[in-house]
Amino acid sequence: MKLVVEVSPHKKARYDTAWIMKQVVVALSPAIIASVIFFRMRAVFLILVCILGAVLSERLWTYLRKRPSTLGDYSAVVTGLLLALVLPPKLPLWVGFLGGVVSIILGKQIFGGLGQNIFNPALVGRAFLMAAFPVMLTSWVEPFSLDAVSRATPLALWKFSGEFTPLRDLFLGRISGSLGETSSLALILGGGYLLLRKIADWRAPLGMFLGAFFLSGVFYLINPSNGSIAFHLFSGGMLLGIFFMVTDPVTTPTTKLGRFLFGLFVGLLVIILRKYSGLPEGVMYSILIMNGFSPLINKLTIPKSFGR
Amino acid sequence: MLRVEEAKKPQESFYTQKFSPQKVVIPLSQHTGALPIPIVKKKDRVKVGEVLAQPQALISSTIHSSIAGEVIGIKEGPHPLLKRCKSFIIEAGKESPDRFEDFGSIPEEGIKELGSSEILSLIKEAGIVGLGGAGFPTHIKLTPPKKVDTLIVNGCECEPYLTCDFRLMIEHTEAILKGIEIVARILEVRKVYIAIEENKLEAVKRFNSKLHTKKYLLPQTEVKVLESLYPQGAEKQLIYSLTKRKVPSGKLPFDVGCVVQNVGTCFAIYEAVYFRKPLIERIVTFAGSSLVEPKNLLVRIGTTLKELFEKEVLKFKREPKKIIFGGPMMGVALDSLDYPIIKTTSGVLFLSEEDLDLREESSCIKCGRCLDNCPMRLLPLEFVRLVKKELWQKLEEFCISDCIECGSCSFVCPAKIPIVNYIKAGKEKLRTSKSKA
Repeated sequence: MKLVVEVSPHKKARYDTAWIMKQVVVALSPAIIASVIFFRMRAVFLILVCILGAVLSERLWTYLRKRPSTLGDYSAVVTGLLLALVLPPKLPLWVGFLGGVVSIILGKQIFGGLGQNIFNPALVGRAFLMAAFPVMLTSWVEPFSLDAVSRATPLALWKFSGEFTPLRDLFLGRISGSLGETSSLALILGGGYLLLRKIADWRAPLGMFLGAFFLSGVFYLINPSNGSIAFHLFSGGMLLGIFFMVTDPVTTPTTKLGRFLFGLFVGLLVIILRKYSGLPEGVMYSILIMNGFSPLINKLTIPKSFGR
Repeated sequence: MLRVEEAKKPQESFYTQKFSPQKVVIPLSQHTGALPIPIVKKKDRVKVGEVLAQPQALISSTIHSSIAGEVIGIKEGPHPLLKRCKSFIIEAGKESPDRFEDFGSIPEEGIKELGSSEILSLIKEAGIVGLGGAGFPTHIKLTPPKKVDTLIVNGCECEPYLTCDFRLMIEHTEAILKGIEIVARILEVRKVYIAIEENKLEAVKRFNSKLHTKKYLLPQTEVKVLESLYPQGAEKQLIYSLTKRKVPSGKLPFDVGCVVQNVGTCFAIYEAVYFRKPLIERIVTFAGSSLVEPKNLLVRIGTTLKELFEKEVLKFKREPKKIIFGGPMMGVALDSLDYPIIKTTSGVLFLSEEDLDLREESSCIKCGRCLDNCPMRLLPLEFVRLVKKELWQKLEEFCISDCIECGSCSFVCPAKIPIVNYIKAGKEKLRTSKSKA
């Protein structure tokens, strides 16, 4: 009789990291479908090259370092997918591929791989592309336009010409913008799934929602031309950030209070950047900045253990 | 707290059966505290319930023979928790081990006239220890240095698979209540809670209908139905659930005016006081996918697993790949069938291939599930990080000593990190470095 002897517990939850990652892909599927509806094959190809860039570079990295493949945890797929969803549809495919590579190598692997990185890899990739190809990253097209009629995003229209996009269009997604950011409805569906199934914790999303809600409300009361609460929540990368970026376990705090505070600060920062920075959008920078504070937030929010 | 697959069917509906072994291995250590001193020698003949070892230290317990026979050896033997321990090996020989001595019961009225100190010495002489798993000598627990006002009778049985406490509550409701009567009287508490999880409503019903007769001399007694969550039955969590009192770190239940006793212990107290019967047997759940049929057996202390299979009381249908003493969340995996049942054994599980979880440890993704589910509100992922970095002293800053090793963190970890393993290693390192200093 050969018996396995190991430390308790002898039963473990069925899910694993790969399952969680796959569930994130499931939760992103409404946004993917919406992007294909609005931007057709451009969306399909851009998503594919971003994932390909991420997956191939991760495999190559582990191969060169003589480590076992880590593709089975599906985190590279999620990173590539998230990157694609925050890129403009018209982006040349090779740029998307490069973004995927940078996300994985600079965003994750040089820190030591999954779990070790400080910054959200997909956003590192986007920030890199933003710095390297600023024009490409700010050229937008109208949805449904097969000949790619260029059109500014609702946030740019607001910021630079004081023009407001109808909320209905914002909500459904018939607007120009990054691949997966246009349809609020699709993001809420997927995000709701993610939170209700407890795949992601609700605290950071709630924090970010409240932060953005509060500050955009204050600014709106001061001057309606600052944009309404709904406008800010449904435009740009806000909802993608709320549901899919501040819920990234690796780069956000682990304590319960820390997660909430992280989200709250991101939400506040987004509105501040949207109002005071030179750019119309601020979700990416807000999250990257706060990523840097995650270790500190963790340290300051260590819970008191039971009975202390 | 978390929901864990209960796996209590079908054994929860199986009546307990008796089993008496031909040979027993009775370790000296079956409790928290000092080892008792042997008072019999090799080749001595012993009766059922005869004292084999007497306590000398304050926190210790008496060990009795669970069968009639000959002491064929007093030597190192297998021990389910310590691996090895000095043990009495007793063989029944030709005598029927079933022959039960009459330990001399006393009439019901006589019980009422017994003073606390007499009852306590009966409990002490019967070798009763906490049967929920900790094995703390009961007579010590019943003489707290501070006045307590609440007695909590723990019938939660929150570990999956185990049904021994449930069967006891169903089959011996009245005896348990009589045991509770005794405990409540000694402690002079004002309030008694009988805590049972909602997956054992049959037990709740039985207690309530017995209590309804009002024939028990009990203070205000309430059967509390708790959600079936793990670890609902952990002492500090249970006290908090029922009384909203928090046992401070490093303190004991009596510090917040509570004493917690397992239902099995209450039953043993009843038998000791009413029948002068020492703790020589207990109900143990045998379950798991390797067995033809799971069972709840009333077995003598010291019965080895081997004999249960040799006598075909238990039968394998599939080769076991893991044998666990205790429940799946906190139990200890063992390497053979040589181990004996001891006083704190509530169950033995035999798991086959299909139940093994061979997924390997992967990178921590810092999802925080471990800390979200920690009943002590600790940061398990920090323990893992610090142990890996060998930052032993920092472990104390994160209150590693508060960890009750319930296994919730390892259970929920998506990266399958054996967190409890790291925590045990960290605690061990701290212990050895302290003893060196």
